[in-house]
Amino acid sequence: MKYLDCFRALARQRSGEIVVASAGNSCQAWWAVTRDSVGSFYLDASMSLSAMFASGLALAQPGLKIWAFMGDGAFCMNPGTLMVERQMNLPNLTHFLVSNRAYGGTSNAGLPNYKDNDYAAIARGMGLERVFAFSSIEKLERDFVVLEVEPFSDEEQKLEQPPFDGPELKFRFGRHIESLTGANVFGYRI
Amino acid sequence: MTGNGSENAKRIADELASCGVKLVASLPDNWVMDVIDTIEHDARFIHVPVNREESAIGLCSGAYMGAMGSAALMGASGFMTVVYALTKINYTYEIPLFLLATLRGAVGDHHKHHVSNGLYLLPVLDAISMRYQIIDKPEEIPLISRCYRHTRTYARPMVVLFTRDLLRRSH
Repeated sequence: MKYLDCFRALARQRSGEIVVASAGNSCQAWWAVTRDSVGSFYLDASMSLSAMFASGLALAQPGLKIWAFMGDGAFCMNPGTLMVERQMNLPNLTHFLVSNRAYGGTSNAGLPNYKDNDYAAIARGMGLERVFAFSSIEKLERDFVVLEVEPFSDEEQKLEQPPFDGPELKFRFGRHIESLTGANVFGYRI
Repeated sequence: MTGNGSENAKRIADELASCGVKLVASLPDNWVMDVIDTIEHDARFIHVPVNREESAIGLCSGAYMGAMGSAALMGASGFMTVVYALTKINYTYEIPLFLLATLRGAVGDHHKHHVSNGLYLLPVLDAISMRYQIIDKPEEIPLISRCYRHTRTYARPMVVLFTRDLLRRSH
């Protein structure tokens, strides 16, 4: 499955979900197919923390549905995050593990043990029950989803990163959360 | 007068609740076990034990974006592992984060394996321009609220460091 085709399919199926994208290719791909800068938070170079960030948001706002993208490069750095996700068991969070078997954000450098890593089995081993793996574009469901995609081509590696500095993204996204929920994210507190 | 660990843990929990903290993400350190136990059994909080300290940074940062108050509780050694996450998430995006950690390696710490924290914890905080507040006595516990509010004004992380004298267990 081509990375961008996969993300185009996800974007077509999106119905109001808030997105937290991870470093590198998933930020590039999601920005390329959606140009969304209010309902998507591009947590660039967080080295595995997109799903935890998304979990905090999902916990705080149970009325929102949250999608978290994470590459398998990030996942290799912190697979134990699934233990926390399983423990929290948030019904409004879907964690998409985008498996291109490479560190896509760093010129497709090789992943450790990339031939044998079975991410769905790892997730099930940590107690997750709703685990789905796709290597072609099909219906995607909630919880933990492994998307088997091809690494970015050399041309795709040149895709634009979301062109926002951190604070601008924080405010665009946070104001959107405020408008959706009525929550006071940035209000002055005394 | 330092009180005992359990009494001070209750005071710390009360102070956290008073400033709107709902989520507490933690990893253990022997000194903070009374605090963790207290929070775990206090219905005012959602306590999430996490797999590593960086996960607490991500979780609390996301909670902030959902308007939920939070605190990350950890030992000094754990704190030393989160410098990248703090600088990448909380400095880059200017996302407030409130941390509670132990002042390991300071005078009164009996453990030689915390000498490195004694040598480098405070210099590392200074190196990343991260504000900190040391709390050594029960009467200083109200500083937690002031520091928490400062993170919201300052839009960056800050850490409160607890001493052994404050946290030592009564048993």
